[in-house]
Amino acid sequence: MSEPFDVDDETPAQQQGKAGRAPKGEAGRLVSFLHGIAEGKLEDRLDVTSFSDPGLRAVAEQANAAALRAAADIREARQRVQLVTTGVDEAIEAMIRLVIQGDLSGTLRLGVSDAALTPLIAGIGQVMETLKKFVTEIREAALQLSTSSAEVLAAATQNESSTSAQASAIHETTATMEELKGASHQIAENAQMVASIAEQTLVGGRQGEGAIKSFMSSMESVKRNAIEVDDAIAKLSKRVERIGTVVEVIDEIADRSDLLALNAALEGAKAGEAGRGFSIVAAEMRRLAENVMESTKEIKNLITEIREATHAAKEASDGNKKMAAEGEKLGGHAMESVSGILSGIQETSDAARVIHLATQQQRTATEQVVQSMSEIEEVTRQAQAGSKQATGAAAELTKLAERLADLVKRFKVE
Amino acid sequence: MSDPISEILLFQVGAHVFAAPVRDVVRIGTVRDSAAEELVLDTALGTPFSRQRCIVVASPGSERTLVVDQVVGFRTVGENDVQPLPAFAAACIHSGALAGLVVLDDIPTPFIDLPTLLREHAARRVTPQ
Repeated sequence: MSEPFDVDDETPAQQQGKAGRAPKGEAGRLVSFLHGIAEGKLEDRLDVTSFSDPGLRAVAEQANAAALRAAADIREARQRVQLVTTGVDEAIEAMIRLVIQGDLSGTLRLGVSDAALTPLIAGIGQVMETLKKFVTEIREAALQLSTSSAEVLAAATQNESSTSAQASAIHETTATMEELKGASHQIAENAQMVASIAEQTLVGGRQGEGAIKSFMSSMESVKRNAIEVDDAIAKLSKRVERIGTVVEVIDEIADRSDLLALNAALEGAKAGEAGRGFSIVAAEMRRLAENVMESTKEIKNLITEIREATHAAKEASDGNKKMAAEGEKLGGHAMESVSGILSGIQETSDAARVIHLATQQQRTATEQVVQSMSEIEEVTRQAQAGSKQATGAAAELTKLAERLADLVKRFKVE
Repeated sequence: MSDPISEILLFQVGAHVFAAPVRDVVRIGTVRDSAAEELVLDTALGTPFSRQRCIVVASPGSERTLVVDQVVGFRTVGENDVQPLPAFAAACIHSGALAGLVVLDDIPTPFIDLPTLLREHAARRVTPQ
């Protein structure tokens, strides 16, 4: 094909220069004609009739035939080149159209058939197959990516939600621990106060114990005194009874004396004037007897009062003894109660001290927990931010996957 | 009332003081020293409360013992000090024991005939009205 164009680059004039002097006449015309053919002037022809020399004329005729043939070959070659170029253009255009339309399922069909186009068509077919394979794989990958990104988004959303809940819970826990820290501090102070009050109560209780002992000692004295008073009252009562008996005798004597005086006065009165002095003495005796009876009456009244007072004193003394015994009993009970209370207060004081120490340790531990919770809260906050970013990225990835799937869907592979 | 009155005995029964001539009185005693059947409690003079004394009165054939609350004493009075009961009062009173009124310190005191009093008491016990 390239043979007609495979000529030396030098011009015929240059070649003539190198050969020396150019021929003239019919040979010169012939050389010039050949030089024109060499330069591509294939449409020129020699007038063979103008050559007188038969040899040159035959050369001229062959030169014309060669030029004609070369021109025909060149036309044929040009037509084929045109044909191949058209086929290539169609193939490329068809491939571009298919790619643009996304239809990778069809086969390439050309209006021009040429053996020279077969490798090109085969290559384009291979390209299309490769593209189809790529699109298929990309579609599957996009589908898988979409699924995975959806799962990632769901997981990221879940993670974000969990992280938020965790952050909220940690925040609440931190707040609770803060309150617990305050409560621990308050409990420690209260326990200290309880211990102090228990100590004061213990001192007061011991004073009360001493007071109860003094009270019981006083009750013992009261009881002893009451017994002595009881004995004295009994003796006094006996004396009073004795006085009463004596007074009864005196009263009886006085009554008898009164009776005697009355009868003496009676006899004196019966005796008339002779018994006047007797009557006077009798009247005097009677007055004395009446005075004695008045006195014994007063004494009896006094004895009655003394008896009543003695009885009241006896009852009071019995009451005192009873109250003293009751007081001793109550004192004993109070002593037992106070002992129990003192023991309880001692235990309370010890327990309050232990609680104070424990709450101090608890407060320290709580402060450490609060510190740790603050750090955890900060880390969780960062994790929450990261989770939000991951969720955003997953959402973006999901969108991209969907977009990719949409793009890939444009390509028809089946 | 035939003998002149000079000496009287004053005694008390309940709230009232009475007078009687000493000649009718044998002696003065006590309830505990006397036999119970001899004691005269409720008479026209009333019923004694404390019953500290007894007045032993001579009666025909025996002695009767009038229980009184108290023997107040003895007084000497003149005949003019004893007044008979007014006729209307004597007619209203059915007992003959009230012999008159004796004025003592300007106070009229019933003057009692003790034997008549005890007799009426004995008669009332035999024939109760």
